[in-house]
Amino acid sequence: MTGPLIVQSDKTLLLEVDHEQADACRRAIAPFAELERAPEHIHTYRLTPLGLWNARAAGHDAEQVVDALVQYSRYPVPHALLVDIAETMARYGRLTLSKNPVHGLVLTSTDRPVLEEILRSKKVQPLVGARIDPDTVAVHPSERGQIKQTLLKLGWPAEDLAGYVDGEAHPIELAEDGWALRPYQKQAVQGFWHGGSGVVVLPCGAGKTLVGAGAMAEAKATTLILVTNTVSARQWKHELVKRTSLTEDEIGEYSGTRKEIRPVTIATYQVLTTRRKGIYPHLELFDSRDWGLVIYDEVHLLPAPVFKFTADLQARRRLGLTATLVREDGRESDVFSLIGPKRFDAPWKEIEAQGYIAPADCVEVRVNLTDSERLAYATAETEEKYRFCATTATKRKVTEALVRKHRGEQTLVIGQYIDQLDELGEHLGAPVIKGETSNAQREKLFDAFREGELNVLVVSKVANFSIDLPEATVAIQVSGTFGSRQEEAQRLGRVLRPKADGHEARFYSVVARDTIDQDFAAHRQRFLAEQGYAYRIVDADELLTDN
Amino acid sequence: MTTPPRTLAEALRARDDESLAGLLRARPDLLSPVPNDITQLATRAGTRASVVRALEHLDRFALQTAEALAVAPDPASYDTLLALLTGDGQDDGAQRDDAGAAIRDAAPGALATLREQALVWGEGDRLRLVRTARELLAPSPQHPSPTGLGPTVAEATAGMSPGRLQEILAAAGLPATHDPVSAVTALAALFTDRTRMGELLDTAPMEALAVLDRLVWGPPYGEVTPNPTPPVKWLRDRGLLLPVSTRTVVLPREAALHLRAGRAHRVPEPLPPAVVAAATRDPQAVDSAAAGQAYLAVSTVEELLTSWNAGGPAMLRAGGLSVRELKRTASVLDVSEPIAAFWLELAYAAGLLASDGEADERYAPTPAYDDWTELPAQERWVRLATAWLAATRTAGLIGGQDAKGRALSALGPELDRSAAPEVRHRILALLASLDPGTAPDPETLLARLRWERPLRGASTSAGGTTDLRSRIALWTLNESELLGITGRGALSSQSRALLESGPAEAAALLAPLIPESLDHVLLQADLTAVAPGPLERPLADTLSVLADIESKGGATVYRFTPGSVRRALDAGQSAADLHAFLAAHSRTPVPQPLSYLIDDVARRHGHLRIGAASAYVRCDDEAVLGEILADKRSATLRLRRLAPTALAAQIDPASLLEGLREMGYAPAAESAEGDVLITRAGTRRTPPRTPPVPVPEGPPLPDGTLLGAAVRAIRAGDTAATVVRKDASQAPAAPAGSLPRTTSAETLATVQAAAMTGSAIWIGYVNADGAASQRVIAPVRVEGGFVTAYDHTADEIRTYPLHRVTGVAELADSEDA
Repeated sequence: MTGPLIVQSDKTLLLEVDHEQADACRRAIAPFAELERAPEHIHTYRLTPLGLWNARAAGHDAEQVVDALVQYSRYPVPHALLVDIAETMARYGRLTLSKNPVHGLVLTSTDRPVLEEILRSKKVQPLVGARIDPDTVAVHPSERGQIKQTLLKLGWPAEDLAGYVDGEAHPIELAEDGWALRPYQKQAVQGFWHGGSGVVVLPCGAGKTLVGAGAMAEAKATTLILVTNTVSARQWKHELVKRTSLTEDEIGEYSGTRKEIRPVTIATYQVLTTRRKGIYPHLELFDSRDWGLVIYDEVHLLPAPVFKFTADLQARRRLGLTATLVREDGRESDVFSLIGPKRFDAPWKEIEAQGYIAPADCVEVRVNLTDSERLAYATAETEEKYRFCATTATKRKVTEALVRKHRGEQTLVIGQYIDQLDELGEHLGAPVIKGETSNAQREKLFDAFREGELNVLVVSKVANFSIDLPEATVAIQVSGTFGSRQEEAQRLGRVLRPKADGHEARFYSVVARDTIDQDFAAHRQRFLAEQGYAYRIVDADELLTDN
Repeated sequence: MTTPPRTLAEALRARDDESLAGLLRARPDLLSPVPNDITQLATRAGTRASVVRALEHLDRFALQTAEALAVAPDPASYDTLLALLTGDGQDDGAQRDDAGAAIRDAAPGALATLREQALVWGEGDRLRLVRTARELLAPSPQHPSPTGLGPTVAEATAGMSPGRLQEILAAAGLPATHDPVSAVTALAALFTDRTRMGELLDTAPMEALAVLDRLVWGPPYGEVTPNPTPPVKWLRDRGLLLPVSTRTVVLPREAALHLRAGRAHRVPEPLPPAVVAAATRDPQAVDSAAAGQAYLAVSTVEELLTSWNAGGPAMLRAGGLSVRELKRTASVLDVSEPIAAFWLELAYAAGLLASDGEADERYAPTPAYDDWTELPAQERWVRLATAWLAATRTAGLIGGQDAKGRALSALGPELDRSAAPEVRHRILALLASLDPGTAPDPETLLARLRWERPLRGASTSAGGTTDLRSRIALWTLNESELLGITGRGALSSQSRALLESGPAEAAALLAPLIPESLDHVLLQADLTAVAPGPLERPLADTLSVLADIESKGGATVYRFTPGSVRRALDAGQSAADLHAFLAAHSRTPVPQPLSYLIDDVARRHGHLRIGAASAYVRCDDEAVLGEILADKRSATLRLRRLAPTALAAQIDPASLLEGLREMGYAPAAESAEGDVLITRAGTRRTPPRTPPVPVPEGPPLPDGTLLGAAVRAIRAGDTAATVVRKDASQAPAAPAGSLPRTTSAETLATVQAAAMTGSAIWIGYVNADGAASQRVIAPVRVEGGFVTAYDHTADEIRTYPLHRVTGVAELADSEDA
């Protein structure tokens, strides 16, 4: 009864956080196990084939994995699991992708039956060229990503030894004047750079932009940055000018309004996925320069066409940044296979403990609907039910009361439905930022909010991502995209930037009791609950009488 | 011993009691029934069945020794035997000397074994293999010997013409002899003489040597054409190949032995192959891994049988579990089907589950299971392990087919393999012979097992894992790992104790390794609870109702959901109970979301109430309902007040109406929609019905056409025999009284015409049995190759297939007649 780790036969690892060896154990298992949940006492890791193969790619072997498990395990490790680990890890590296001086990109196998097996697969056949010798087959360079992805799905991951192109060199330095990369940001940059390509997962507000800047300073090459929207693009530019040796003129914006291609170009997903006559005219941006680094901001939002194009970019270094690698479409594994494995992951609570993000008090406010609202809800059409219960007048009143309660604090009211937000804006006397608000207007309002001229801002989901509102201390969520876990996390992220006075942030989620709203809320909270954010559940009536 | 024994019986008689007891111990079949005397014992020891059994129990080297004796002259001296085993040294094998030394060391032991088992008797210079054994092991065309040797020259030339023999002698460069016997002796002497034989072979063409090369290590038989190639002919002429039949030749034993440098076996195996360690692990780690698996085994069996608490799956008619039930069990246990089958068989072997013996047979846990669950974990494991060690049922067979192609089902018949316990013990004994913590290489283990009990007839080099013993051995290795006999491939010390000292010692060793039951869980804000080890049973039971199990293993992860909390409330717990339970068993404060969840579910639990009632009474005047309830006469109506204006009754509406009327009320019945039911005097109607169809006596009345036809036919029939045929003179081919014959076209035309005119005709008809008859019929209709007609002869309507009508003739006009 000594080890901090319990290895379950379903391949989950339970780590007791308060154990004295917990930190050592965490370090030992981090290379191969995925952190799945990090609530207060027991963290759950999971062994996945992908994780084990990534460990192999990073130079760990099965014996090390087994030793780590056996060393820290409190109970004997199930034998079947150990066998399975050895077998899974042995599948990696039977196939290698490499550059052949004569034939270009080739797929080589050390195990001929494996090569035969994968060549018989219908999915592989269109991706490979001529058979060069019994153990080697040619692969078209543009299929490098596709074949890696396909082989991964077939369970025979290829080791990619074909390397990266350096891209067009461009001097970039971090301008660390009066600030420095935080330790975890440095680790993230190093983790990425040594791994080649991959994804860095950091909580909202933990400074992912700086990790990007750090990576650029390592690459010292022309860089393409893909972001979610124009506001975010401007913020990246602003941040890069401030934090690096880059000047305004070296950074181009490639968006709906401007089409600049410069050594560092920031493009939006939206413009890349604009489709005209069945083709994506702006995808050629990828080829317009010899990019040495491609950064994907908010990689969990990567749209499908970009996925496809990314597959062709395997020779360039790729960095994905995200706070929440949960995709409701379940394409996490595509992110990993196309951009690269997770290179750095920091639990939210750990960053919070280091003081880089503000502690937050998450409160779910349960609102009792009035009898007439309940009756109307019961008779609503199924597809209208969520909209109905999420936008009831009672919720609006509670929201208003919450805003009143936090009068004087910078407050964001976030919602999904425009008419609900308009109504709230009217009642609260606060401006509303929504899809139709022009970029200029948005920036103006954000500035006013930053300066403290405005206390309350009502925002739709357009502001879900990458808006930097340093002084927001209260967020009130009135409705959302159904049960989206990452949206919840992103919204919480709006208030997590550290406060000047070390003040705790508040995150309210106003939920109608006994309705589908409550079920969605429970689902939305799962990610954060697993990250250790304990939601308090409070009855609206209690909260209001407290006032 | 002054005179050497002349028979096996004499040899046995000369043995001391201990040595006889040794024989009987090794061959217990000789004891049933107990032989009357030594002669009878010797006879029985020489019976085929007994000898086969004895040979099958020999290890490989003892068997090789016996095989060598079988190809040696009878009797053979010890030196001859040794020469057959080691060879005469005229060999190019590099490692021969080592092998020779090992053989010389091992041979006396092997011979002693054979002697003890009464397979060999006689003194050192006159060793005799028991005749039956010799017959079994000596090469014959039907049973090729594992030695790959053929018959001797004498055996192979039996029946050869003396002239042919002399030709061979001449070709081989030997002087002619007078008789065949001396010829054979001369030839055999040539083959066994190393020098002369070498000279003979030096003259052989290269191709001939290649032919010999192919035959030398067996099988010694070769196919030849009637006109053999020159090299074969060369060999045949010199008796190096002797004919067996017209197309087959054999290499005689003496020649083969010369070519083999005198060795009976290509690879004599005097020493058992060593079991090689694949890995050496820390014995403590092995013990704890095995203990973990042992605990898992115990809890898996418990989980399996708990799931059958309310009655297990049905038994197939042929016995056993259906494939679907096995799949279901596998998914319940979250293991693969073969492993599920193993747990089932294990529980069955341990007597924890059995068929209930009802008419509709189902499996269920036995009372012994209840006793078993009361035991501490280590003793439960010991029970399972001892049952497994002795079981002849082999779970590994499940999913395969028996010899008749029937599927072998879990818990079903035909799974007993008597070799299983012996193989299991042997494997475990071999494991026990290794140092603690040593995990053997399974291949070497199998090789060792094959050496100890070679399959008679199987060649020594054939590896493979297809024979039953090897399969059982592999299953044993897997099952030992599953059951926690071994840990990471090595025998655990608790299992060693189980094998060597007994159950009590094993349990004592295991006990400290089994994780202790915990009385607490860790509650977390994401609505999970983690039990970081096995829980005490009452705690585990309650928790598994209150929360869903997400992950099992050393620890258990529970998740609280509204559904699971509701389940606990349904099971009779109150919210306060649940709060107290969690507070008592949590090491950490109960997270607020969890308390809130419980309260929230409890708030709504039972908010709606459901019950069954047969009728209700409703009344806007609450006082009236109060009055009814207060009235003693209403007791029989079993009324209950649901609301101020509604009562529920447990009797049907009609009786309720009646009862209330008797009490002096004037109730009205209500329909399901709430309307007042208007009751009127019975105006009950059936659904639409048709009137019954009359059933007249006798057959239906014939209609006019039929009647007309009938009357005409009666007349015609009356005169049928005497009818004067119009065409009698025109058809001389048909003698009077024979069937009329017309072509089918004429037949059809005539019948159709008759049907139209309503006249009767005379037909010849052959029925289905081939019986011909003549009939007079009045056709009614002709269609589809059938004619329906009134048959005057039979006096009824009949249908005749036209193809059976041989011909028709019109009747002569009766009026004319």
